[in-house]
Amino acid sequence: MTAPILQLTGVSRAYESGNRRRTVLKNADFAFESGRMYAVVGPSGSGKSTLLSLASGLDSPTTGTVRFRGRDIAELGLGRYRNRHAATVFQSLNLLTYMTAVQNITSAMEITGVRGMRGSRRKQRAVELLDLLGVEREDQNRRTLQLSGGQQQRVAIARALACEVDILFADEPTGALDHETAAGIIEVFRKLAHDEGKCVIVVTHSREVAEASDQVLQLKRGKLTVT
Amino acid sequence: MNSFKRAWWRLTAHPGKTALMTGLFFVICTLVLSGFLIRSAAARAAESAKRSVGAVVTMQLDVNALIDSGGGSGDGRPRTIGEEGRLKRGLVDRICASSVVASCNYSKDGVAAPSEEFRLHVPVPAPAGQDTGGTDFFKADGILDLDEVKDFRSGDAKIVAGRGITPDSKDDALVVEERVAKDNKLKVGDRVTLNANVQHPDGRLTTKETEFTVVGVYRSGTPDPRTYVPSMMAPSNQIYVTPDGATRLDGKEVGKDGGDLAQATFTLRDPSDLDRLKKDAEAAGADLKVFPMSVNDKQFKQLVGPITKTADFATVTVWLVALAGTVILALIVASSLRERRKELGILLSLGERKPRLLGQQLVEVAACALLAIGCAAAGSQFLSQAVGDRLLAGNVSAAAAEADSRDQGPGLSNTAGGGAAADDTPEADPVDSLDVRIGPADLAKVGATGLGIAALATLVPGARVLRLNPRDILTKGD
Repeated sequence: MTAPILQLTGVSRAYESGNRRRTVLKNADFAFESGRMYAVVGPSGSGKSTLLSLASGLDSPTTGTVRFRGRDIAELGLGRYRNRHAATVFQSLNLLTYMTAVQNITSAMEITGVRGMRGSRRKQRAVELLDLLGVEREDQNRRTLQLSGGQQQRVAIARALACEVDILFADEPTGALDHETAAGIIEVFRKLAHDEGKCVIVVTHSREVAEASDQVLQLKRGKLTVT
Repeated sequence: MNSFKRAWWRLTAHPGKTALMTGLFFVICTLVLSGFLIRSAAARAAESAKRSVGAVVTMQLDVNALIDSGGGSGDGRPRTIGEEGRLKRGLVDRICASSVVASCNYSKDGVAAPSEEFRLHVPVPAPAGQDTGGTDFFKADGILDLDEVKDFRSGDAKIVAGRGITPDSKDDALVVEERVAKDNKLKVGDRVTLNANVQHPDGRLTTKETEFTVVGVYRSGTPDPRTYVPSMMAPSNQIYVTPDGATRLDGKEVGKDGGDLAQATFTLRDPSDLDRLKKDAEAAGADLKVFPMSVNDKQFKQLVGPITKTADFATVTVWLVALAGTVILALIVASSLRERRKELGILLSLGERKPRLLGQQLVEVAACALLAIGCAAAGSQFLSQAVGDRLLAGNVSAAAAEADSRDQGPGLSNTAGGGAAADDTPEADPVDSLDVRIGPADLAKVGATGLGIAALATLVPGARVLRLNPRDILTKGD
């Protein structure tokens, strides 16, 4: 067994709402490894997105620690962790609508500071990734608001891939895609995990995604179990 | 660099919003720049007015201050003005040498008794049996420069033959009124004899013949009185001599210090130089408590009054517009940030630093500001010229109306040779045109103001960006 790239230890997250305190994630423990694809499944409201937020450095746990390569990401800095090591494809796509598909990707590459790439090389890489994910050339230079939901999802995935991070998180990445496109996306994730050595963590309701994953984690009322 | 690029993409992707922001900035910058231009035009006009009129400072004895200081001679006898109460000509000459003095003048009041060959002009004889009370004298003022005397400055009196008294005039120079010249058949170059009154230490009063040369004849604008007045009060019997001549008419010899003066006036190059003049006067040995200096900058104020009001209005406008502009822009930016919450969340999720997000917003606003400043620079000169002229015309009219109402009010005029506060300044027409010119300094100021507004309007509402949490923005929270 290889050393975990991401380790959750006793991770809980509670939210205050007036006088009420609701614990969404309870004492989650799990070690994620590089080169594997994980699916996190569970009913709505079970804490999937919370788990993803904590693991991707968008939020901090109420108790417990999230460690990247053995180092607490809070110590590393959540912004730095997101910038260098983790990328997320969101359920709601979250593309910058005033940019073209290519600009969305090159801009993210600039922010994350992908090594050894300057202006024209970044653009070339963005085009390669969009080609790989099946976004037509003519659509690549359109503003993302003019693209279909499926195309936008592909752009979002391409953006995450472009950042050359170690861990890729995806929140319902195939939710807006047709069956054929979804299958293509799943294949991309698998290749990223198995061929590129990335750790891919997908929050999903999709049985196909879960079946394609190397391991499925189930969340039920905030409790994480391995199936 | 990424912030600049994103800012550019966003500005070009939303031309409507960009135009709105630029338009708003254009209005703000145009008004602010117009205000600056009006202010600087007013400042130039005021500077020019300062140079053209300066200010007149009068120095003369304050008897009360002299008594308070223990001056004057006492010894149980009625108090008389002692040595410390005499304004010495030598002292005044030293003050005149101050670098802030453009010109100076001094006067010495005196009288001269007529002689057989130089008689008084008597327009209306004294009523039979009336005692003239020893007032059958010429009023003989010793002055340094006749042109600086009130009536000559204002044009009420003018030389009609020969020349006036100047600092270069000889001791025996005499200028007479043309009615006296006519009565005595005098012309320029004639020698005349006047009788000086000599007060002896034992109290005796005698006369001493003193010779003068007529160097000029002037015409007074004041007609003869229609009823009897003492000769000394008749305008035609006002004669002018040099300060040394006046000393001789006092029956004294002209000493090394040039004798005593009644008052001195100093015309300053710049009204704000009064403090410097006072310092120079004290350095020259003047006791400014006993001989206070009072400034008469009425003419300067008349010249620049309306333009100063216009400049003040422009200043208020600049501040109001800048303040209102900042508030409006801050509200727009705050609204824009609310609208862009998701965009900010996305960028934060990618690891973008919060200050850079603010930087992008600032670059967007500043880009609109710079474009607007450029447009404002092109149009402001015409706008500020038109607005400034209208405002100034209104203020000039108001000043004229105010002056008219003052003139029609109770008589407050002072006679010549009056106190230090005597208003012997001719009326001045106020500056009634603005020379609006746009220069690099104005552009720099409006640039700094525009960018300052942009920064304030961005950073104040932008503080909320620093509290943003990408998780709250981007996930549903389940």
